[in-house]
Amino acid sequence: MTRADWTVVLLAIALLPVLYIKLWFSQGHGQQASIWVDGQVMEVLSLDDPRKLSVTGPLGVSVLEIRDHKIRFLDSPCRGKVCVHGGWLTEVGELLACLPNKVMVRILGSDPRFDAMNY
Amino acid sequence: MQITTTREDITIAWLTALAITIHVAEGAFPSLLPGLKPGLANVVTIAVLIRFGWSSAAWVSLLRVLMGSLILGTFLSPTFVLSMTGAVCSIAVLALASRLPGAGFGPVGYSVLAALAHMGGQFLAAYWLFIPHPGLFHLLPVLMTAALIFGLLGGIIARTMLDGASLQPQ
Repeated sequence: MTRADWTVVLLAIALLPVLYIKLWFSQGHGQQASIWVDGQVMEVLSLDDPRKLSVTGPLGVSVLEIRDHKIRFLDSPCRGKVCVHGGWLTEVGELLACLPNKVMVRILGSDPRFDAMNY
Repeated sequence: MQITTTREDITIAWLTALAITIHVAEGAFPSLLPGLKPGLANVVTIAVLIRFGWSSAAWVSLLRVLMGSLILGTFLSPTFVLSMTGAVCSIAVLALASRLPGAGFGPVGYSVLAALAHMGGQFLAAYWLFIPHPGLFHLLPVLMTAALIFGLLGGIIARTMLDGASLQPQ
């Protein structure tokens, strides 16, 4: 192993933890969330201020909660409560919906495109 | 018009055949994670780079990806695009590394650089072309760790191969 070899290997070993910290433990990915009712954007909210918010859909009132830069469904008038069990959303691109009440929450990113493409 | 082949062409052809064999054999192994592969065919690229120079290594690497994809039936598929991007990135990095004055890389350094460039390029291509979802970046640290480990292993294998083999230039 030459000195250049050692430099490359040690640099790589030193930079890997940076990658882990940056990509696994960085906080506050999403800054904003959009609330949709019946396919229409109803509100765009900042995730910085904690609050509870009631959204009225066809079935009734869905309650959303924003806390610690996260957002969740606290309650919804649906039967399955899939939206409530979905838990907290934090990452850009994450999405949760109460389909019976037609309410959807999505964390906004800088570049909203597609989840995946298939050929 | 007659096509003439030089000794160098024949050497490249032989080594490419070896690299393709490794590439195809590796394709038969199940993969733990998408995009994760030992990349043992890269050993041949590194050995060729050190013995015969960069342009031969580039030929071996790119021909291997092309022929490997034709044999495995992935030609022009996303797999091929990612594989080609990885190969082009690693060859580009090797070009820089081998021309860097006074650096004096050995097989291990080249192999690690190539593996990291391959993985990085491939990952970005996957992100831009196929899965533009920020969640994909959670995979990157794991993939780069694997690239470093496999790069090290490949480099050590290439070094052993170069020490033992009687590959004569030209």
